[in-house]
Amino acid sequence: MGAHLGRRYITERDTEPDPAKKSPFDPEFGFPDRKEREMVATQEQMNLAQLPVEQRDYCAHYLLKLMKCKRDNWPNFLACKHERHDWDYCEHQDYVMRMKEYERERRLQLRKKRIEAQAI
Amino acid sequence: MAGVGFRRWAQLLSKRKASGIPALISGCRAASGVSKDILPGPYPKTPEERAAAAKKYNLRVDDYHPYPDNGEGYGDYPMLADRSQHERDPWYQWDHPDLRRNWGEPMHWHFDMFIRNRVDTSPSPVSWSSMCKQLFGYIGFMLFMFYVGGVYASYQPVAPKQYPYNNLHLERGGDPEKQPEEVKHYEI
Repeated sequence: MGAHLGRRYITERDTEPDPAKKSPFDPEFGFPDRKEREMVATQEQMNLAQLPVEQRDYCAHYLLKLMKCKRDNWPNFLACKHERHDWDYCEHQDYVMRMKEYERERRLQLRKKRIEAQAI
Repeated sequence: MAGVGFRRWAQLLSKRKASGIPALISGCRAASGVSKDILPGPYPKTPEERAAAAKKYNLRVDDYHPYPDNGEGYGDYPMLADRSQHERDPWYQWDHPDLRRNWGEPMHWHFDMFIRNRVDTSPSPVSWSSMCKQLFGYIGFMLFMFYVGGVYASYQPVAPKQYPYNNLHLERGGDPEKQPEEVKHYEI
């Protein structure tokens, strides 16, 4: 659970990625062709719904659907399970993508270090 | 007046030498009545005055120490130890259990301050230096640990969250005229 912290601060201080810094590697590297993330909700739609800035991510269209469902079905607070699940699943996939990005960054750093060690 | 029956009162009146109203009022009074000889007086200068003052306050002559005579107005009132009523034995059968005081006992000048609801002079279970060390040691340790936690921050092993529209350039108050730097996000 805290293995990455041990690597970052103690064992592999030079290769463990720092999430605060921008990745020095090319995003397309290692992929034959990489698909861009698609944003479904428009800025105008998000403005009209008055979404907070933190919630204007790539899952905003599911959130807008959920908000509409809740407003239509009030006071039945048990009505929007399907929409809520869709939004939650989208957010979950987004988090898993973040984990994969971190791991990719880490492996690229290790690879870079291996190549440099070989060059010596 | 109630202490004397009507007959006795009439008998007493006939024996009295004084005339007028003082003749009618009987000599008996309630125990709470105050006369000048039990009130505090001026600072005692001679040994006889000291002995009399000690007797007045129900103290032994060796134990009687008046306040220094420097114009502060204590008179002959005794200087007792600055100990609050908390320090007195809770299990002894005091005459006044709440005040932990017996009848006739000399009262401290600041007796109202030393009652059990107010100032407590009882000794702390641990010495002052030990208490200071413990408190400041703990606070110092916590401050140090929080500083260390700031330097070596703890975080989840995830990349930063990705936002659309060039990291929400307009939504975050960016200049609408200025062209924001292009940010592309990919699926993985």
